[in-house]
Amino acid sequence: MKTANIRLAMGLLTLPAILLQKSFIGIILQALYVIVLAVSHGRRFRILPNLILLFSVSSAHLLQPHGLQLFSIGNFAITAGALVLGARKAFTLIALLYLSHYMVTARPNFPGKLGKLISLQFYYFERITTIWRTITPKRPFIKAIDNMLLQLSVGGKEPFSTQVKEKASVTSSARNIGKNTLHLIILWTLFVLGNLAIFPVI
Amino acid sequence: MKKIRLGDIIIFLLSLVLIGASFGSYGKLSGKPEVRVQAEGREWVYDLSVNTTASFSGPVGTTSIEIHDGKVHVLASDCRNKVCIAAGWISSAGEWIICLPNNVFIRIEGSIEPQAGGVDDISF
Amino acid sequence: MTYPSSSPKVRIEFVALLAACALFLSTVEYLIPKPVPFMRIGLANLPLIIGLGLLTKREYILLALLKVLGQGLITGTIFSYIILFSIAGTFASTLLMYIVYRFFKQWVSLIGVSIAGAMASNVAQLTLSQYLLFGAAAKLIAPPFLVVGLISSIILGVFAQQFEQNSAWYRSLREGSL
Repeated sequence: MKTANIRLAMGLLTLPAILLQKSFIGIILQALYVIVLAVSHGRRFRILPNLILLFSVSSAHLLQPHGLQLFSIGNFAITAGALVLGARKAFTLIALLYLSHYMVTARPNFPGKLGKLISLQFYYFERITTIWRTITPKRPFIKAIDNMLLQLSVGGKEPFSTQVKEKASVTSSARNIGKNTLHLIILWTLFVLGNLAIFPVI
Repeated sequence: MKKIRLGDIIIFLLSLVLIGASFGSYGKLSGKPEVRVQAEGREWVYDLSVNTTASFSGPVGTTSIEIHDGKVHVLASDCRNKVCIAAGWISSAGEWIICLPNNVFIRIEGSIEPQAGGVDDISF
Repeated sequence: MTYPSSSPKVRIEFVALLAACALFLSTVEYLIPKPVPFMRIGLANLPLIIGLGLLTKREYILLALLKVLGQGLITGTIFSYIILFSIAGTFASTLLMYIVYRFFKQWVSLIGVSIAGAMASNVAQLTLSQYLLFGAAAKLIAPPFLVVGLISSIILGVFAQQFEQNSAWYRSLREGSL
């Protein structure tokens, strides 16, 4: 089984463990695990956008007060429960995001005609990025775009099946299956622990 | 800017209407009724429109409340008389329930006016 | 509305090309620093607007699908919640844009189409964010989003209009000479 498909399968099977996680500490642990997983396979982790997500979702939930009041701004009560709820949602989303990143690290191929179309799309995408650099002058703008598009449209109309080389499929070893099963087990364990209320409830 | 057509103007105006309508939500959020509970020496706040339950401890045990359909009542309590439970549901600003033995004080706050003809009206 | 003398095999290449443009534009937009991360300019919708005059209904849907999938794959978000926003926004906007273009072509220019698409996309995404992200607070952020969407879609629409009129590439496609 190809590496890409294994990661894909592992990710899909892990999805419920993240989505149904009720424990705040549990989801934080899951998110951290998944982030490390994604980063160790090449994805970057930028703290700022995730922080902004965390902050905005949490504060948005403050509008529906819930739980212990921590302090108040004028008439407006800042409640701990709402913050935790919002933060938990944000962490869930972050976990899903990095799980998704991990799932595509091995470049899975889409099956069928759609798959070929997407490959064609990416082929053209790479050509655009290279050709655009060679276009001078870039003003007037529309003429420059035209220039590029024309280059892309007339260059040898070979059917794309010959253009797009099949990426050498990396067949996996048992190690790969083993590693991904480990990830699966760990994430599900965190889910079970969370639901058994083993983690301290904030 | 050549050739702006009638349809463009119509779509543009419709969009302005949409945007104007979206500003309407700004007013609604200030007067939302809340359930405020004082217990354990601290204060807790809940949105009256969100169904939920919550428990608080006190000298004699635990008192639980339930918020349901825009009303709140005491679901269970460890106090002896259960007067708080007997008080039933409250839903309007200014109404309150108290469990004296357990030191739990529940009240509804918000700028929504109590119903006309409510408890506060005096009629002869 | 279609370029007559091309075979389906060739036409598919153009769909893919437009889809690739959408990808390119979305990476460009990604690189533009934004004060608020969720504010989108919608550059990637440009090919979708311009494609209205070039593609059949089926090809147009395909284009929208490729845009969403391509974006999802390239940003790695394809299996996360973010793709849902992309799907909702793109689906809503292409639906409305297609309807406006197909039935009201005599009364609108691409500017109106662009505005309609942006509004539909924003409304769909705001509604979705109410359930997925923000709860009731989504209603609060709606007005600035819609205003930004209106302004940016007008600018985009003007550009699309200019492109449609001045692009030789576009013209040759319409005339079937490519």
